[in-house]
Amino acid sequence: MKGFHTFCVVLLVFGSLSEAKFDDFEDEEDLVEYDDNDFAEFEDVMEDSVTQSPQRVITTEDDEEETTVELEGQDENQEEDFEDADTQDGDTESEPYDDEEFEGYEDKPDTSSSKNKDPITIVDVPAHLQNSWESYYLEILMVTGLLAYIMNYIIGKNKNSRLAQAWFNTHRELLESNFTLVGDDGTNKEATSTGKLNQENEHIYNLWCSGRVCCEGMLIQLRFLKRQDLLNVLARMMRPVSDQVQIKVTMNDEDMDTYVFAVGTRKALVRLQKEMQDLSEFCSDKPKSGSKYGLPDSLAILSEMGEVTEGMMDTKMVHFLTHYADKIESVHFSDQFSGPKIMQEEGQPLKLPDTKRTLLFTFNVPGSGNTYPKDMEALLPLMNMVIYSIDKAKKFRLNREGKQKADKNRARVEENFLKLTHVQRQEAAQSRREEKKRAEKERIMNEEDPEKQRRLEEAALRREQKKLEKKQMKMKQIKVKAM
Amino acid sequence: MAANSMSDPRRPNKVLRYKPPPSECNPALDDPTPDYMNLLGMIFSMCGLMLKLKWCAWVAVYCSFISFANSRSSEDTKQMMSSFMLSISAVVMSYLQNPQPMTPPW
Repeated sequence: MKGFHTFCVVLLVFGSLSEAKFDDFEDEEDLVEYDDNDFAEFEDVMEDSVTQSPQRVITTEDDEEETTVELEGQDENQEEDFEDADTQDGDTESEPYDDEEFEGYEDKPDTSSSKNKDPITIVDVPAHLQNSWESYYLEILMVTGLLAYIMNYIIGKNKNSRLAQAWFNTHRELLESNFTLVGDDGTNKEATSTGKLNQENEHIYNLWCSGRVCCEGMLIQLRFLKRQDLLNVLARMMRPVSDQVQIKVTMNDEDMDTYVFAVGTRKALVRLQKEMQDLSEFCSDKPKSGSKYGLPDSLAILSEMGEVTEGMMDTKMVHFLTHYADKIESVHFSDQFSGPKIMQEEGQPLKLPDTKRTLLFTFNVPGSGNTYPKDMEALLPLMNMVIYSIDKAKKFRLNREGKQKADKNRARVEENFLKLTHVQRQEAAQSRREEKKRAEKERIMNEEDPEKQRRLEEAALRREQKKLEKKQMKMKQIKVKAM
Repeated sequence: MAANSMSDPRRPNKVLRYKPPPSECNPALDDPTPDYMNLLGMIFSMCGLMLKLKWCAWVAVYCSFISFANSRSSEDTKQMMSSFMLSISAVVMSYLQNPQPMTPPW
């Protein structure tokens, strides 16, 4: 009882303190209502202390949404509260004060700015819980990207196809006047001209021409840029690259002399010298400037010997090279052409690769990537140069000295190769012999008849002895000779 | 005869058929992009399917498209189709299991 009284006193003090804060409080007369009840004044005080809280924060927690409803504007609410309090008065006046009755209410300091605002603020629902199309913006982006890729594929493919057709239309007449067979994919039974390009890829087109003096055939490869691949298109925006036309003429053995020669842009020649088997072996010097022969500075020359350069750089050739220098990437004549260097895992290959007498031309299509079909006409004079080179290669012969030098070079290269592979060849022969021995031993072991086994073993032993004797004889002979 | 040979260099009797270049020397020259992209596409599809990552599945779709665009005509269409189907199935499965939109990693 006493404890309860102290508690009430504390509350009274608290209430008076809080009342002091709110001087503009209007409904003070409500506070003065007293009942006959002993605890009436305390009840009022209690209601006071409760209702004078400026804000009440009621938080209700739902499963999915968290909404915070704040009651602000103390005046209106206080009025309501007092009305409630009045009705509550009647209900609760007979009951003792309950500590836990007002647990849900929290006191919060009032901020003046919140007095006139809209009382309810609703927090946004997180994006992944919404059900609208806007939340799928990444997916829409992805699909748009894919559609862009497909569009670019179709456009790029068509452009490359149009460029190839334009090239062929421009060059058809010249080719048909020089070759019997223009266009062959190797699948037909008869050797008839298909009259069209082989499409190897969306950006590579081939054309095979054959049936001419001097040469076995000519393979033309149109290597366009990968316009059908969007990634490539974007990469090319950083670094412009040209479309290329590569021509490979395979000469008859009797129609070309033995020499290795190349002319082209310095960068291209440096790369070729590193990559190509024949250029790296026969033309060991660095590319020399072509200005000595009247060529522009952009072109350089790689040659096996000076005589070849002198012979090749006649007026007409120089004229071609000078006029079309911007379109020429490289020109490579060789009787020892075997393609790029082959890197094998087990070291050197055991025999020299097959060589063919070849003339190779690489031309850049003007436009540096932004090519139009009409640009293909600019390449026609270059094809004339190719035809001229074929005829020239047949006519050009080395003199006696040149021929000797060339033969010496080839012999040297072969010897070097044999030396390098000598160890490997020995090892290969050794392993072959061991293999034979093992096979024989296997045979002997597998022989079921013990008689036969014995006989085979004896035969093998005799063979071994004979070999040993032979070797000893040879050693003796060499010793005698040395003496 | 001499005039004839000068004016017409064609020789029908010397026609040689086209032989596609052997494939041994080509791998070094050939562009490895379609093979790499194919492999990447398959890896990403498997990641997308197993780990339920939507972005993996989308990258796989892109990889298979790039591989198709760069492919050689001699290549197997079955391989292309199978990688396409795998990547599309990876995307579909990720969305079936979790229909929520993709969240950006940043």
